[in-house]
Amino acid sequence: MNNRIAAENMAQLYKKAAEKYGELPAFATRKKELEWEPVSFRELYAQGLNLATGLIELGVQAKDHVGLFGDNRFEWILSDCGIQLCGAADVPRGRDITDSELVYIINHAGIKVAIAETEILVKRIQDLQSELPSLKEIILLEPVKKLPEGVLHLSSVLNTGKNLREIGDRRAESRMDSIQSDDLFTLIYTSGTTGKPKGVMLSHANIISQMKVIPIELSCTDRVLSILPVWHIFERVFEVYTIACGVCTYYTSIRTLADDLKNVEPTFMGSAPRLWESLHQRILKRVKESHPMRQLLFHTAYFLSKMYKSSLYFMFDKKLKVEKASLLKRMLLTPLHAVRWLIITPLYGFFNVAVLEPVRMSAGGSLKATVSGGGALPVEIDRFFNFIGIPVLEGYGMTETSPVIAVRTDEKLIIGTVGPVVSNTDVRIVDIESGTVLFPDENHPENGRGLRGEINVKGPQVMKGYYKEKELTDNTIQDGWLRTGDLGMITFNNCLKILGRSKSTIVLLSGENLEPEPIEMRLTQSPYIEHCMVVGQDKKHIGALIVPDLDGLRSEGIELSSLEDAMNSKKAEKIIRAEIKKINSTGNGFKRHELIQEFRLLPENFRNGDELTSLYKMKRHVIQDKYAELIEAMFNHEPSGAI
Amino acid sequence: MEFTTQLLYPIDQILLAVMIFSIMFGMGASLTVDDFRTVARYPRGILIGFLSQFGLMPFFAYGLAVFLNLPPAYAISLILIGCLPGGTTSNMFAYFARGSVALSIAMTTASTVMALLMMPLLLEFYTSDFTRAISAEVQASGTGTEFVIPTGNIIASLVLVLVPVAMGMFLRAKSQEWAKTAEDTAGFMGIIVIIYLIGTAFARHSGLMLQTPIEIYISAVCVGLLGFLFGFWMSRLFRLSPIFQRAISLETGIQNGPIAFAIILLSFAEPVQSQMLWLAILYSTFIVITSSFITLYYRRVGKFDYEVYKNTTIHNRLFGEEFVSHYPENFLPKRIEHDPSQGFTPSQIRKKSQNSDI
Repeated sequence: MNNRIAAENMAQLYKKAAEKYGELPAFATRKKELEWEPVSFRELYAQGLNLATGLIELGVQAKDHVGLFGDNRFEWILSDCGIQLCGAADVPRGRDITDSELVYIINHAGIKVAIAETEILVKRIQDLQSELPSLKEIILLEPVKKLPEGVLHLSSVLNTGKNLREIGDRRAESRMDSIQSDDLFTLIYTSGTTGKPKGVMLSHANIISQMKVIPIELSCTDRVLSILPVWHIFERVFEVYTIACGVCTYYTSIRTLADDLKNVEPTFMGSAPRLWESLHQRILKRVKESHPMRQLLFHTAYFLSKMYKSSLYFMFDKKLKVEKASLLKRMLLTPLHAVRWLIITPLYGFFNVAVLEPVRMSAGGSLKATVSGGGALPVEIDRFFNFIGIPVLEGYGMTETSPVIAVRTDEKLIIGTVGPVVSNTDVRIVDIESGTVLFPDENHPENGRGLRGEINVKGPQVMKGYYKEKELTDNTIQDGWLRTGDLGMITFNNCLKILGRSKSTIVLLSGENLEPEPIEMRLTQSPYIEHCMVVGQDKKHIGALIVPDLDGLRSEGIELSSLEDAMNSKKAEKIIRAEIKKINSTGNGFKRHELIQEFRLLPENFRNGDELTSLYKMKRHVIQDKYAELIEAMFNHEPSGAI
Repeated sequence: MEFTTQLLYPIDQILLAVMIFSIMFGMGASLTVDDFRTVARYPRGILIGFLSQFGLMPFFAYGLAVFLNLPPAYAISLILIGCLPGGTTSNMFAYFARGSVALSIAMTTASTVMALLMMPLLLEFYTSDFTRAISAEVQASGTGTEFVIPTGNIIASLVLVLVPVAMGMFLRAKSQEWAKTAEDTAGFMGIIVIIYLIGTAFARHSGLMLQTPIEIYISAVCVGLLGFLFGFWMSRLFRLSPIFQRAISLETGIQNGPIAFAIILLSFAEPVQSQMLWLAILYSTFIVITSSFITLYYRRVGKFDYEVYKNTTIHNRLFGEEFVSHYPENFLPKRIEHDPSQGFTPSQIRKKSQNSDI
């Protein structure tokens, strides 16, 4: 049954949820392991109205931008609710926002009222006050003993609102009625390590469009565990979705996650690859430490499940198809898979029940599915969880598309892809070099499936633009098509496969972003390094491919006739290792995650036209493809920590 | 149908003994003293379970034997199967059928203990017609004098199979880790041995399956199915909540097969032994298949109410016992609406308070 609420904007959503779900818990906060505090949908909306009235009294106008700096907690959602109900938009960031970002964002967005989670954060904002001419009020969220000077506490704003509403103030309701679908509901600043943050303008229509595309049906009987930062659009969209479905969201933290998984037994959660990596390691460790008999049972079960599922995937066309499949081969193999499936099913049935079910318990045991986003999920981990029976639905999106572009569904659970493009959304693949459309194009065989290019998106989720950045917006969105900057292709069973980034930004597994160019620029200044390319997309840390400068090395007295000699020379490696350590250091202003942990010397120089453009810029994807194995080997090697 | 050769060779008998031992040991390893205490927590469920396990099942077995006009040895075997206590297999099925595992375990525990008293009584009560028939037969052929149910031996075999259960429980009390390993290993070995026994039995007596009259098959399949069906209806009649209905249904239909093997091997002799064993083997084979399908069915139909139950339970676990989950109007279907474990809708609460005002 479809339970989701259809609303036109966020304010209406909060209202309708209160009417429909009433006293059901909407959000729960952990006090102790088995003591949680619920807040009902009705309570949330009632408090939200009080807060909205209080904010209006403070002078917040419709369509104003209200700063909301903090991490997951009930008061965050309450603040969001209040801001939506008074017709304003929030500008969210986490507690880890830097001072310069605070100054930039508050000034750029013209924030007059800022809500801050902690006392420390309030203090930091106050210290920057001289640089923040527009900021009038700061509201503190967390309970404190003594309120800092010049700061309002959330409770007093709520109280003001409550008193006003008691004497008949209904300004919040009239604000709600005047909200238009294309008004902003949020303005999210994405951080770039270089350059200034960009304010992504997302409208009510953008976020509401997402309610239709999330592939998992949820109802009042579901439980969602929230661990990712709520100010990130990826987690935010799930929290909005849970409100629409009447689901209770339970706030957890890394520290308490293992316990909370057991106690809350979530049926759904938004997750990042990192989470699955650590759970994967934990499960494997536990298996390794267990009795040999149990290890045998586990491996047998896993093997059977793999056989069982791959036959199923084959029969139902759920295998990754990057090439056009031969019909004959399919016809020949299908009966074989059917026979294998029949033989394995009873055995799999037993092992699934006896061995795999207890393993699934480590994730609470009730998970219907989970969506992983915010970075690519390593394929072996993806397989592991799908084989042990926790369906991990990998999705693809970005803040600019609020955020879902594609996501795996139950019917299209194809490992290695991010699933089919969501409904009402068009995706095209554009050739990077020439800018021509590769998919969909009838001139290409199979309409352009299997061709690689930049992913462009058009649909109701595409942002209005970057706030006060017309030029950047026009560059990014052309004729309604948003250029994602990611490389991808459409597989032969109509799923989107992500192949890397066309822009050079590297996103590490931890979600941290970094631009490789500044590091490369500094390194190539060394006399020993001619070219250098930093790699590490979706890895734990970064690494580098290096073309050494032979003359430089020779001047150190090493006999070298070719790059291959250098590659095999211990001495050359040592010199370059020392050089990287010297240049690529925190002392030189690099952040921790910007430090190169591993490198490889290349046997050939980059050639103009092949690896380099005519302007001597590196063609990253060409190099990445050419040395794919070397890069893989480098990251599979344990970091020596010597750099 | 007569067995011309022995159904089980000595090696098979040893394997069967090993299997019985390890399965019963595994059963013990999954039990704790607390499980006996949970028996007291579900008095209604246990009572209804007891009625369907020792009331309905033996009666159906007897009824089937009479209705299908089974040869006396098969009839006795069928009634024996009907009188068995539950085994750990049913706990696993209850879990996957979204039934109450706690009740299933409690019923297994209670029925295993009760079996010491109930089985001899019930066998005595239901099998007298058939033992007389066998006696007449053996006297006519002059191979023996009189056939009686070896009550003493049955009690002795029951006590004997409870020894590994006690050993398993002892291990569990000493080390939970080891007990878990023992439990899984036992389950794994049990499956291997059953597959081996069935495989060799079918291979050696390839004609046996064809020779076996259809009513033997019908009785082997139906005794379990009737147990599922009436266990469900009975608990439904007594308005137990759906999760209890599913647990009692499965617990009633799934009997402790290994105990049947042990009793037949230890207490009965030829010419009836092979025939009795054959029916026990058929029952054990078919019950796995039928209960798998029943479980899949229960899992589907029980999905919604189980999710409601689970969510309500977790609300109470995290928000305190007195927390009431108010589901939206018309969210809960009629059949679980008045079950306190499923929470209430606001209008029900209003009605309740109005009633209490009056």
